[in-house]
Amino acid sequence: MARVLVIEDDEVTAREIVTELASHGMTADWVADGREGLTRALNDGYDIITLDRLLPGMDGIDIVAALRERHIDTPVLMISALSDVDDRVRGLRAGGDDYLTKPFAPDEMAARAEVLLRRRQPNVESNRLRVGELELDLVRHVANRNGQPLTLLPTEFRLLEFLMRNAGQVLTRTMIFEQVWGFHFDPGTNVIDVHIGRLRRKIDGPGQSPLIRTVRGSGYLLAPAD
Amino acid sequence: MRPLIDVWRSASSRLILIYGALFAIWCVILLGVVQWEASRYLVGVIDQMLLQRIHYLEVSDPRRLQGTVEAASVIDPKGIMWVGLFDADGKPVAGNITRLPDELVQDGVVYPLKASLADPDANRPARARGVTVHLANGQRLVVAKESNTIDGVGTIIKRGLLWGLSLTLLPGLLGGILIARGPARRIREIQDATAPIREGDLTRRLPVSRRGDELDLLAGIVNTMLGEIERLLGEVKGVCDNIAHDLRTPLTRLRTRLYRTQQQIGQRPEAALLDACVDDIDTVLTRFRALMRVSELEDRQRSACFADIDLAQVIRDVYEFYVPLAEDRGQRFELTVGELPALRGDPQLLFEALANLVGNAIKFTPNGGAVRLTAGVDVEGNARIDIVDSGPGIPTDEREAVVRRFYRGDNTRAQPGSGLGLSIVNAIVKLHGYSLEIGGDAHGAQFSVICNPKAA
Repeated sequence: MARVLVIEDDEVTAREIVTELASHGMTADWVADGREGLTRALNDGYDIITLDRLLPGMDGIDIVAALRERHIDTPVLMISALSDVDDRVRGLRAGGDDYLTKPFAPDEMAARAEVLLRRRQPNVESNRLRVGELELDLVRHVANRNGQPLTLLPTEFRLLEFLMRNAGQVLTRTMIFEQVWGFHFDPGTNVIDVHIGRLRRKIDGPGQSPLIRTVRGSGYLLAPAD
Repeated sequence: MRPLIDVWRSASSRLILIYGALFAIWCVILLGVVQWEASRYLVGVIDQMLLQRIHYLEVSDPRRLQGTVEAASVIDPKGIMWVGLFDADGKPVAGNITRLPDELVQDGVVYPLKASLADPDANRPARARGVTVHLANGQRLVVAKESNTIDGVGTIIKRGLLWGLSLTLLPGLLGGILIARGPARRIREIQDATAPIREGDLTRRLPVSRRGDELDLLAGIVNTMLGEIERLLGEVKGVCDNIAHDLRTPLTRLRTRLYRTQQQIGQRPEAALLDACVDDIDTVLTRFRALMRVSELEDRQRSACFADIDLAQVIRDVYEFYVPLAEDRGQRFELTVGELPALRGDPQLLFEALANLVGNAIKFTPNGGAVRLTAGVDVEGNARIDIVDSGPGIPTDEREAVVRRFYRGDNTRAQPGSGLGLSIVNAIVKLHGYSLEIGGDAHGAQFSVICNPKAA
């Protein structure tokens, strides 16, 4: 079972995070103070850390920088009330792996935590991804389903790669936009849905069971057909 | 282009001109009075002399009168005082007056004479004053004196007036114009300082010198007003932002609860209702996020994340991102990217701005329409990005308003959206020092971002 360290000074938010992570099958320990958080993060070998940006004792950025300095590469999900792009950039530059602004939807927070966890435990050979009948060759940039080659555009390939790396995991539109396209704003229209729709038409041939599922109110999920 | 202040049209120049004119008129009146008084005095003196002389001759011995008259005319060769003795028929008997003047009507009264006394045919205009008396023997005695000296005095006074006026007025006017140029230059400085304020930069102030004069007083008042306007606008924006900021937390919690309930009740009919609720809350949250995004961009300092950018790549990324959406709507979406100058900027933000513009173009273009994304260099060496659609277009009178927060045109009210997209675009464009032009006609809108390579 994955162990999460929650460094967060606001009790309400902390409880929300701990509860949500627990409901996703993780054990979470809560620390309110920055210095104590750093000590625990350094010594207790957690799988993932959620880190508030503004903390008593020590700034979140300093904590993540201190961890990276000591070559502790535990994935860090920064959760901050500071929504400015510059703050995000600073957080990620200091060594944070993902950045979520408050207020956040708990399921999105949990989804991001799971994506970080997944990144840590690659479940595939380094150059090949496989989910059910789907196979992605990361070196030759080709994909096939059930041995049938799929013709994918570069963007579609990157999108499919992200979905497959996080197979079984609900991914929100924001997460997809951030991870596949690398932008951190609200694309507004339903562009992401359209991209998913096109990918779906390419990988789910006629008569094949759909691999990409829509999760109402959340996002998308790629999972092998049952 | 600022309107030029003409030195001749400035208030101080006008005042100086009016003052000069009044001064000249006053000088003329003053000297007129002086001249009039002087000539009146001189006339009085001459008349007195004439009367004295004629009285002296009149009462002298009548038998020696002729000799006296001759003697007087001889000792006065320059004609300072003319004297003449005429018989009853008006024929000259003695003296240097050759003709009896007609003007002398009454005895013992001095009359102005028109003609010259010495030579009646002379062209030289000569004025004189004369007096006559009838003597007991029927002869007439005339004494006259040329009054040109009075005119001479008048000429001297007139000349004095001319010199006086030119010596006072010319330096006065020149000095006045020089003085007027000072305030004109400062007004021009103020004009230059207001240019960015008129364009919405309320952080700028008018220049105030250390002199503390009227212009400084005025500039000070305007600066205080600007400060107050800035504070009030900041407050309004602050209130907006605070509402958005503070409501996000409870709304997010509400959304979470609704979402969980929806997950729990599964496929029951009520789930659809909860779905709609979650969608509505998402709409509100999206709008709040956009509002805060505009504020954040507006407050941002330029060049925070600026680097050398490959604008062509950003444009191609935007194009690729939106191609599927346009294809889904059966729209023709064309990309043309020419040679572009090197630019500095924030590629993330420029992508966001262009994505908003292209997203709008696709949204407002009917299915089967056309959207064009073009980039190239304009005549001034700026990179110019045009986004042209075949939608309903933006009426000319709405073009300035569309970049305002929450503004939604009459043509587009039916479309979903926050009315904040163009505010975000505008903020990003401004942050880079670029400019946004809105054009097109009833057959489609055209948005152009003009990127000045020297701006960022």
